[in-house]
Amino acid sequence: MEAESVIELKEVRKTFRDFWLRPTVEAVRGLSLEIKRGEVFGLLGPNGSGKSTTIRMILGLLQPSAGSVRLFGLSPRSVEARQKLGYLPELSYLHPFLTARETLEYYGGLSGLSRRETTSRAVELLKMVGLQDVGSRAVGGFSKGMSRRLALASSLIGKPELLILDEPTSGLDPISTKEVKTLVKALAAGGMTVLMTSHLLADAEDICDRVMIVNHGLAVAEGKVAELGTSLESFFLAKVGNPEEFQLAEFLKS
Amino acid sequence: MRALLEVVLLELKALSRSRTAILLLVASVLWMLVLPRLIVGDGTFAGARELYVRYSLGGVFALTLISLLASACGSVARERTEKRLMLTLVRPVRHTLVALGKIAAHVFLGAIVLGVSSVVLALKDDVSRPCSHVLSPLMPSPAEEAERMYEEYMKSPRTPEAIRKAKKAEVIKLLEQRAIDRYDTIATNETAVWTFSSGGERVRMRFTNQFEMRQEIRGVFASGENQLSVSNQTQSVAVFDFRSNGELKFTNRGKSSLMLRPRRDLNILSRADSFGWNLLRAYLQLVAVLSMVLSFGVLLSCGLGRPVALFTAFAMLLVAEMGPSVVEQYPSSMDMSRADRVGLAITKTAAAVTRPVSALSPLEALSKDECIEFTPLVLTMALDLVLLPILLSLLSSLVLVRKVEGRG
Repeated sequence: MEAESVIELKEVRKTFRDFWLRPTVEAVRGLSLEIKRGEVFGLLGPNGSGKSTTIRMILGLLQPSAGSVRLFGLSPRSVEARQKLGYLPELSYLHPFLTARETLEYYGGLSGLSRRETTSRAVELLKMVGLQDVGSRAVGGFSKGMSRRLALASSLIGKPELLILDEPTSGLDPISTKEVKTLVKALAAGGMTVLMTSHLLADAEDICDRVMIVNHGLAVAEGKVAELGTSLESFFLAKVGNPEEFQLAEFLKS
Repeated sequence: MRALLEVVLLELKALSRSRTAILLLVASVLWMLVLPRLIVGDGTFAGARELYVRYSLGGVFALTLISLLASACGSVARERTEKRLMLTLVRPVRHTLVALGKIAAHVFLGAIVLGVSSVVLALKDDVSRPCSHVLSPLMPSPAEEAERMYEEYMKSPRTPEAIRKAKKAEVIKLLEQRAIDRYDTIATNETAVWTFSSGGERVRMRFTNQFEMRQEIRGVFASGENQLSVSNQTQSVAVFDFRSNGELKFTNRGKSSLMLRPRRDLNILSRADSFGWNLLRAYLQLVAVLSMVLSFGVLLSCGLGRPVALFTAFAMLLVAEMGPSVVEQYPSSMDMSRADRVGLAITKTAAAVTRPVSALSPLEALSKDECIEFTPLVLTMALDLVLLPILLSLLSSLVLVRKVEGRG
């Protein structure tokens, strides 16, 4: 039996417009993708390729100009779809005046968990990300790594079926990076669907089952990591790399 | 409901941990305690009391309104620019609840500050002191009177051509104001008669003459069998057993004619409940007004950056405060330049929109021991505390969706 589609994008376009509704940037130009339940999918691409816009459309924060986005067969703006969603943004964006425990309780409450469930899950998640000893400390005093781990715990508090990770290892030291990768693999093994973006191709190679490379708002390649036949980095550079754009050596010489 | 509670709690934590709440509370209590030492009254206990009641709670209300409006204007804008809002919006929570939660938290804090100040006021004053219903004489409404006057004007051959050519609505508006300010003149030994819907124990009147100068007032009030002679000493409030036979008569026994505006200067005061209950009603009305203003603040915060939202909110407050007096001073756009007419039209529109804020004056009624009536209070609360915050939250959610859609 074929696995259920968790994310489905069909010919999605997004054109940003200025105040006078004149088109300024066409960030996504006819992107289609389908992610099945239990997959770990990597959305890769250089800066400005349309990854973040795509993620924001999947999250329901942006409305596509054309095409359709479905989450669990529903509109991404529906409360039912968002009930099954966990999101870790590129930067942590935590409320500095809340403690770590309060942060998890806040997002747990928003996710519709009962107070008792939120409390027990907060304890569990703080332990999982190694912050159990600083649960009562204000987040404003956390290091970048600690904030990142707390943000990851926040994304998991609502028991999501789909986890969207935007640069999950950004700002983490090598040990924490390894821990996060292990955690994502464990979550995927437990049946969670994961969509991640990353600039660190080695991370994507370690975690993802399947990747899509986007450039200038278009999908330029898609495939299973195990079937690439080469390293992800070589594959990526072959698809989007353009050494002529980088004139650093010439610049340094001059 | 749980999500709404979480948003409220988050905002309250932000307000308390940024020390806004505690500073506001301390400043309010200090104002309530220090104000009696600053008041220079008219030398009477009643005068000093009236000033204290009006300016103590009035000062706290102004302070609370300004501080919480500033905070409300930044509440969503700050989270949006710092991208924290995105993490809330991707959760299974309706955008309307986010806006409603922000409003509720600010109103809750405002209600606490005003509540504590009201308790201080109640402790310093006599809560059992009676307050009164205020009745005005039964007369045709100013609009009806204006219509009648207009018809008479148009029939009269002496009416100037400019008025004949002017728009009817503009002339009617002028005449309405004239009806409100119309003086009844009572010549010596003449008797004026006014009708009221029910009776009371006291008559409040303010006579004047055409030069607005003090003059000798001597006369007799009569209602059925009851009579009361009044003089200068009793001209402010006369204690008088006025039964509900529908008529109050006043006979001028002085040497000169007396004038008064019956719609403004003549009332029957009948016993209502106590100052304590009136204080509670004034408190509820202030909270309702606060709620409406803060809802606007949150709406502005959803669509604008914090500085722009702040500027807009305070500009609106200023117009709300000044608009009615401008409109009263220039009721008609006749004989005005085009630019002045445009300016007046803008001010009138702004005054009409913001009238719910500017028209409410529970503090004036409270300080004069006039009962804040139940029906207008319930209407104010239904509109300002429930309906408008919900409507503005819905509007805020629409604005929020458009704003999040932006390039950022």
